Amino acid sequence: MSTQVIDIGLWQLTLCLVFVLTAGAASLWYRLGLGKDLLVGTVRAVAQLFAMGYVLKFVFALDMAGPVIGLFLIMTATAAHLVRGRVKGYAVPVAIPTFLSMFISYGLVSFLVVGVIVGAKPWWTPQYFIPLAGMIVGNSMSAIALSLERMFSELKARRQLIEMQLCLGATPYEASRGIMADAIRAGMIPSINSLMGVGLVFLPGMMTGQILAGADPLVSIRYQIVVMLMLVAATAIGSVLVTRLVFRRCFSASGRPVLRG
Amino acid sequence: MPSVIRLEDVSFAYPGGRPVLDHAELSIPQGAYVVVRGPSGAGKSTLLRLLCRLEEPEFGRILFRETPYPDMKPTALRRSVAYVHQTPNMVPGTVRENLLLPYGFRANADIPVPDGESLRSMLDSLLLDDISLDAEASGLSVGQAQRLCLARTLMTVPDVLLLDEPTASLDADSAEVVYEVIERFFSSDRTVITISHSEREPAQTTHRLTIAEGRTELSS
Repeated sequence: MSTQVIDIGLWQLTLCLVFVLTAGAASLWYRLGLGKDLLVGTVRAVAQLFAMGYVLKFVFALDMAGPVIGLFLIMTATAAHLVRGRVKGYAVPVAIPTFLSMFISYGLVSFLVVGVIVGAKPWWTPQYFIPLAGMIVGNSMSAIALSLERMFSELKARRQLIEMQLCLGATPYEASRGIMADAIRAGMIPSINSLMGVGLVFLPGMMTGQILAGADPLVSIRYQIVVMLMLVAATAIGSVLVTRLVFRRCFSASGRPVLRG
Repeated sequence: MPSVIRLEDVSFAYPGGRPVLDHAELSIPQGAYVVVRGPSGAGKSTLLRLLCRLEEPEFGRILFRETPYPDMKPTALRRSVAYVHQTPNMVPGTVRENLLLPYGFRANADIPVPDGESLRSMLDSLLLDDISLDAEASGLSVGQAQRLCLARTLMTVPDVLLLDEPTASLDADSAEVVYEVIERFFSSDRTVITISHSEREPAQTTHRLTIAEGRTELSS
């Protein structure tokens, strides 16, 4: 098996614009109004990925812990910002608890995977830590957003029921016990579902990338198994932490629900 | 009589709304049976929500037996000052599970859990004798559910009972029974504050509270 990666030249990359043009043609033909979004999206994707490519090259060359952890912090903060945008309609401040839950869960799982399971030395080896941590941040971000969305919408919809229980002497936690469980479940289900479909319905990106780079498929699947399981752990820890931290902010000091219907 | 609940210069408005209470002063004597009246939207329900701390005053303070609300644990306050909503709210489950709901909360751990016989006699007293304790609560009519919610709160024996139109969804006979049960609950050390639109004024009424244009007026 060849281990040589076939490079993609600039003109081949330009040729890929045909794919975008196809989508653009569909937008024009059916008057979908997606032309501007397609253009901005394409330019952003190309610019962001090129920028990340150069940043990674630079950080790999430095080979120091500080820049690796710095990059991890930036990815986590960006993810927390995106999650905040998804739930901003609910008027509950989520930025700090979201960042903290992501930082703790993703940091812990990334450290365990790279330092203990893969056994890279040192644990922050950029070639391992950044891609694996990046996958955790990217995939688990939606789990945290799903948990928060579910928690907020349920607290709003069941406000009367919660108030009734508060009036009977319940604490906010006792009055909304089922809601927290529902929110954590909503965050965890997608990563559990992907355990069911992997290898049958889809070949995940990391495994595909390694195979394209010439790795032995049997080595690739081991990495993929590690990735899938670490995502289950990261989504579980992230969803539990974020719902617990944000839940306190959904009630005032007097235990009154702050989300109005 | 010492006051059981006192409002000192209380103002409240919902976000973006006009003031519901505007520097209101009020002192409810212990053992009073207060009927709250006022035009629709005057703030009668809001007053009850403030009294059980489901809303917070923007200005001024509310005191329970001369202790400011913020100095009390919310669960302890709501155990003493209980509010029954206008629309009945029940958790999924049987009638028995709904009646026993308060006893599962930590703040009520010291209240003895009523046995089946006590639950039965409470339901019977509210003309719910044809309802089985093991029936699904979701199958009850609005009127029956309203009486079930009242029974559930009465059994925790609060010091102050706040009722938001307790007979709004009841026929005349059931309403009469509800008034009788509330009157039996009422005593010299228990206070009842009830919103009412009906003409009937309970015999034990001691005070009338009128709310209009952000002001409260209590008359004997």
